[in-house]
Formats: sequence, C-alpha cells, structure tokens
Amino acid sequence: MQNQPAFERDEASRIRLHMLPTDRFKTFAISAYIGSPLTEETVTPIALTPFVLRRGTASLPETKQFREKLDDLYGAGFGFDIYKRGDYQIAQFRMDIIEDKYVAGANSLLQEGLRFLGEAITQPLTENGAFSSKYVEAEKRTLQKKIESIINDKIRYAAERCIEEMCKNEPYRLHPLGRIEDLNGITPDSLYASYKNWLASSPIDLYVVGRTSLSEVKTLVEQAFGAIGSGSPDYKRSATAVHVNEVRTVVEELEVNQGKLNMGLRTHTTYADDDYAAALVYNGILGGYPHSKLFTNVREKASLAYYASSRLDGHKGILTIQSGIEIGNYEKAVSIIKEQLEAMREGQIQELEFSQTKAMIRNQLKEMEDSAFEMVAFDYNRVLSGKQRSVAELIAEVEKVDLEAVRKIAAKVELDTVYFLKDRKGE
Amino acid sequence: MEAKRYDHLNETLHYEQLANGLKVYILPKTGFQKTYATFSTKYGSIDNHFKVEGQEEVTVPDGIAHFLEHKMFEEPEGDVFAKFASKGASANAFTSFDRTVYLFSATEHLKDNITTLIDFVQNPYFTDENVEKEKGIIGQEIKMYRDHADWRAYFGLIEALYKVHPVHIDIAGTVESIGRITKETLYECYNTFYHPENMMVFIVGGVDPEEIMELIRSNQAAKSFKPQGTIHRFFDEEPAEVREKNRVAELPVSLPKCLIGFKEKPSGLKGRELLKLELATKVMLDAVFSPSSDLYQGLYDDNLISDSFGSEYNLAAEYAFSVVGGDTRDPDELLARIKGTLETLRTSGIPQEVFERSRRKKMGGFLRMLNSPESMANEFTKYAFKDIDLFDILPVYEQLTLEDINGRLQEHFDWEHSSVSIVKSGGAR
Repeated sequence: MQNQPAFERDEASRIRLHMLPTDRFKTFAISAYIGSPLTEETVTPIALTPFVLRRGTASLPETKQFREKLDDLYGAGFGFDIYKRGDYQIAQFRMDIIEDKYVAGANSLLQEGLRFLGEAITQPLTENGAFSSKYVEAEKRTLQKKIESIINDKIRYAAERCIEEMCKNEPYRLHPLGRIEDLNGITPDSLYASYKNWLASSPIDLYVVGRTSLSEVKTLVEQAFGAIGSGSPDYKRSATAVHVNEVRTVVEELEVNQGKLNMGLRTHTTYADDDYAAALVYNGILGGYPHSKLFTNVREKASLAYYASSRLDGHKGILTIQSGIEIGNYEKAVSIIKEQLEAMREGQIQELEFSQTKAMIRNQLKEMEDSAFEMVAFDYNRVLSGKQRSVAELIAEVEKVDLEAVRKIAAKVELDTVYFLKDRKGE
Repeated sequence: MEAKRYDHLNETLHYEQLANGLKVYILPKTGFQKTYATFSTKYGSIDNHFKVEGQEEVTVPDGIAHFLEHKMFEEPEGDVFAKFASKGASANAFTSFDRTVYLFSATEHLKDNITTLIDFVQNPYFTDENVEKEKGIIGQEIKMYRDHADWRAYFGLIEALYKVHPVHIDIAGTVESIGRITKETLYECYNTFYHPENMMVFIVGGVDPEEIMELIRSNQAAKSFKPQGTIHRFFDEEPAEVREKNRVAELPVSLPKCLIGFKEKPSGLKGRELLKLELATKVMLDAVFSPSSDLYQGLYDDNLISDSFGSEYNLAAEYAFSVVGGDTRDPDELLARIKGTLETLRTSGIPQEVFERSRRKKMGGFLRMLNSPESMANEFTKYAFKDIDLFDILPVYEQLTLEDINGRLQEHFDWEHSSVSIVKSGGAR
C-alpha cells in the first residue's frame, strides 16, 4: 500500500478531475459524481434526470442505438445510482470498460468511453428545446415503479421507514429517488430547465482509474463534455445537530412472515470529525461483524435472529440497527439490544473485542485498494466532507482508539426511533 | 505443482492435486492487497440421496447441507469467526444446489488464516445442544426468504418445473424438515462429502504460490484420511413434463412478478461440450431478451416491463432450465407478447450482427469479471466441479457460430415443457 500512487488532480471546464494511474486491473473505471442539496422542490426532478439521460443522446437518439453502442464497446458497463450523503442528493454515473490491450480494435476504448459518458450527461436528445416528451413520460413511469417497489424487499423497506420517521423534520427524510406525488407536475420543459441548472451549479467530480495519464484524461474530458459553465463549488457540511427528547416507537403492519426491527440512533459524530475513527470502532464492536455484540447476543446466544447488525452512516451521523425476528420476540429482542447499548456506555468491552474489531476495520480499509470503484468512493468522501485523510491515516487513527474514546462515543449516542414491521394478525 | 500461463489474460494458474486427493489452485494477482481463499466441497442441496461404495444407502432431510454449513463454524473453543477476526479476516460461507463454499478475505496473516480455513472445515463439531440452537436461527433465515418476493418468484418457478429432481427443494429446507436433523445425520453427511477427494481449494490474490502450496501440502500431510470409496449420488428420473404450469404466491408487492421457465431434458454432455451448450444458450438469450433487443424496447415502450426484466440459464449435468421475466403490470399480456416474438424470431432467425454484438458483450463481461478475486474463485470452482475449465470460456465464445445460436433458438423454447411463476398482492386485482 505504501507503494501505491495517489490520485492526481486537475480541472477540465468546470469538472474536477481525479486520476489514479494503475495497470492492475483489466478495465478503466470511470465515475462521475454530481451532487446537490436535498430539497423537496428538487429531489424528484433530479432523481428523474439520469433516467431520461440514459434513453438517448444527440448522436444516439434511439435507446436501442445508445445500448448497442455500449455492447460494441465489449459490453461496457454503464449505470447510475442516486443516493443520499449527509444532506446532499448524489447522482453517480459509472462506466467500466475493457482495457485496450485485451481486445483487438482500432479506437481507444477509453476515448470512446469518455465520449459516450460526456455525451450522455451533457448532450441529451432534445426536441423543441426540451427533453423528448416520450422519454420523459416513460421514465416517470419507471421511476414511479422503482419507488413503489421499495416495499417488495421488506428489509430495505423497514430500513427506509425507520429513517423517514426518525428524520421527519429534516431533508434527510426524503428518499433519494424522490416522491411519486411530484411526478405529475414535471414536464419535458420543466425537467430540462432543472437539468440545465443542476449541471451548471452542482459540483461535478470525475474519476478515472486505469492505465492512462492525467493529461490524457484532461484532453479527452475537454473533448467529450460540452461547455457546461464555470466554477467548481465545494460541498458544505451541514451544521444541524438534532438532539433527542424522547424515543419514538413506530409500528407498522404488512403481510410479513418475519418481524423487521430497526432502530435509528444519533451519533453526533460525522466523517470529518476527529472522533470518526472512534465511531467506526464503536459501530464495529456493537454490530459490525460476526464477532460483535449484536450478532453474538441476539443471534448466537438467544437464537432470535438470522441477521442482527448495525451500520454507521458517517456523513449523516446516524447509526442504525437492524434485525429480523419472530414477531412474538419483539420485547425480548429490544431488551437484548438495549442491553448491548448499555454495555457500550458502561465500557463493558473486552480487549479481544477491540483487537478483533480493529483488525477487521483495518482489513476492510486495506482491501479497498483492490477495487477501483472502492478507492474512488473513499476519495470522494474527502471531497464531500472536506476532510483530508488518507486510508493509511485512518488506519493509524483506528489503531489508537481505546476504551476511553469508545466510551465517549457511547455517551454521545442517543437512541432516537424504534421501528417495527409486523404482520396484521393479533398478538 | 503445475503452472499454466494465459498470456492473453495476463494470468497464471498454479495447480496441484495432493496425495489425499485434495485439489489446490492458486492464482497470484501481483500488487493486490487482498487474498481471497475458498475451500469447497462438491456437496449441495441436491445431494439428498447417496451411497458410498461399501456402505449403506442414505436419504437425508431437506436443508441438511446448508445446516451443516452453519454448524461448521462452531468449535469447542468458540466461534471460528472470532478466530478469523483476530487475524483481520472476514469469513463467510454459502450453500448452493451443487456445492458448499467456505471462504475468507484478508490482507494480512495469510498463512494463519489459510490454516484456520482448512482446519476448521476439517474439524466438525456437532452436539445435540448446538444443533438444536441452530434450528431457531435457520428458522428465521427461512422466514426472511419467504418475505422476499424475488426469491419466492424464482424458487416458485423451480418448484413448478421439477416434480422429482431435488433442485426444486429449498436450499435451506423447511422449518419442519430441519426439525428432524440430528448430529448423527450431520456427521454422516460430513464424513461422506467432506473427504479431500471431493474438495477443492482456490486461492487468489497477492500471494506467493510456492509458499502457499507448501503450507497446504504440509498441513494435509500431517492429517490422515481413510481412503474414500466412490460416492454414488442418486437422482430419481425426472419426467419431461413439468409439475405445474402455473404457480402463484401472494405477498404484498407493488407490481406482479412474472417468471417463465423453460425446462430442457438433460443433455448428457460433459466438459467443454457442456460449456459450449451453456455459452451458446446464454448468447442466444442475450440476443433475444437483452435491453438492446427489439423485444425489450417494445415491451418497455408499452409499459409492460421496466429495468427488472432479464433472463438467465442454469445448466448442470442432470437438469437445465432458463428463466425469463421480471416485474409487470400484466403477466398474461407479457407472456403473449414473448410468445409472439419468439415465433416471429424463430422464422426469421437471429441476424448475424445481433449475434456478433451479443457475443462481444459476453466476452467483455468475462474479462471484467477477472478483476474480481471473489468472482474468479467462485466461478472457477463452480465450473471445476462440473469438469469445466473457466479459462476455456473465451476460446469457446470465439468458436461459436450463428448456426449454434439459431439452433438453440429453435430447440430451447418448448412451451409444452414450461411453467410460469407469479407473485402478486392478495385481494382485489
């Protein structure tokens, strides 16, 4: 890891470029991040935009042509994700293209890939100065189906509902895919206007990992991405600290075989803070691994669950606990989980729990280097949070975390919301 | 130890079969931080009826291979996860139809972790208490899957297609069937299938092949295994007909899920011939159903499908079926459209250009897969247990012809031997 090169940086028009030269992978990995604040007015049009963009461009107006172009690039992967990070809504476009040396072809695949991505993002198909109405209508339906389908995966649904309830009064309650009720009001013109605005004002970060150079990438990006204005704003950290007055419990009923128990907690610590490493260790000991307190006590000892874990959202400062249980075991499971939280506060943590957790965190961080997209994602945290901290530095900070540091985190952690999804039958 | 170099892929595979029969493969990836190691047995959920040469014929309860996988992690000193964690390794396991895989990924203490992996799998520890306790945990796992609409649609389809072959049995079994598992049956299955002759190690990552091979050689040389007779696996003959043409399950879902499955007679093919059949079928399915296809675009424009629509092909020695479908507002309409398109396509045939494009896409997909140590280990093992070499995939793709693909198009879609599995919400619809 000591020998690995770091990201090189530059700018091309208003896009911040980040390039990691390496020949370890068989592909070029490309990631473009566009982020904007989560607001009620913009969340749905922004979510809808990538869906419309992937339908066709100025030179590939038919969706079939758009997709065939990717197939011709040896099945180049092209996709996008929309998610929340802190109080921002992030659209991430990804491309994964075979390295030229593995295939016999005339054109540079990197050039073709960047050209394709650039056009997809900046030169969509337009009619009468707006998006194609056929594409907008079709993708509104697709987006609606996607939002409605969240309910199909009960584990994911319960997790979303817990956050929605917990963050009722914050932008974070908004689902990154937006709201169905907003869709009717969106027209090809209004969507196009919001898209232009989004492209002109949002921070855009483009990452390339592979066997190439920063100067080559800069040239290709300048060619591939049309003029989209100037200025590269930074992300702002949100200052809101929400304190919990009293714990809310929300129970919902659907036809489920298994109860889904979710808890949301406030950590009052985020990625940029000095005690972030301690929060990572806290989460790891509590419920991050098979040796952790939740897994050992809820699953192995009490035999109540197949999954019982916790996750830390470092950008938002929220920790969530999730477990699938027999509906009748609700009280018992909540009680055991609360005991673990109490144990953390009391510092009832053995040396072995520390050393195992730290070893696992260290392993996860080191392993990231074997994945182009994971290295990119880690670096992007730096962009989002403003915190300069390399993988090696984070590992060193984790090593130093002691019982005192974890107790300090535990003292700050507040249980906010308990959400339980159960069946309709009477108790 | 042999080493085979694949220049065009920039990879070298090291291999040795040890004295006790264990096959060990090592694929070094220079510059990689991580090492991913798997220790697999050719024993899965379908192996519920077997006999070792010279011993009794045995039939075991559904879900036992998976149950065994869970129990393996428990040792007298405690849970093996903790041991791995102490050395920074993230461990896991899974059971599929035809194999059980124990694995870890780590960036340090590689020798210790590899030793732990091999030792814990070769040290079964089942007691009445720990067996009983696991029933509660697996019971919850089964319930978790029963709430998962995609899982229900997929397994519902396999149940509908197969009357007799154990592929239709849920890998985890049922709460009732696992209730009958005892430590004695676990030991019986373990002793039969966890013999080194039936197993394989695959290690990929930043390792020195010589060092690691020597580590494993010495580890195995220090243990003794009685020679194992041949394992006979029994499968009652599966009729050509499907069990049910239509299966419906009710769960709260936003849109119905509709999957069609086409059942094929066992091909009788092996090795590279079996691989060719698999790849030709996959290219054909891509040409017909991929997001670039006319069929897909037409269905999408008519609001009959969206991004969840896809196809897959599952091919083993004694069963083969394809699955096509996804979320749809109107299952009947979707089926009618697919049927209509297939008829037209079978008359005209798949054009050369479409075939070339699908093939190219698949080859690119294979190359991209090679970036992932996990995929390499899992795919290699999966194919090796079917006597297929993963590294034959690109050459076989290259050798496919348009006739191969159109041949598959003509043969595969036998509506008489197909089933439909639907998951939809209960109540008025």
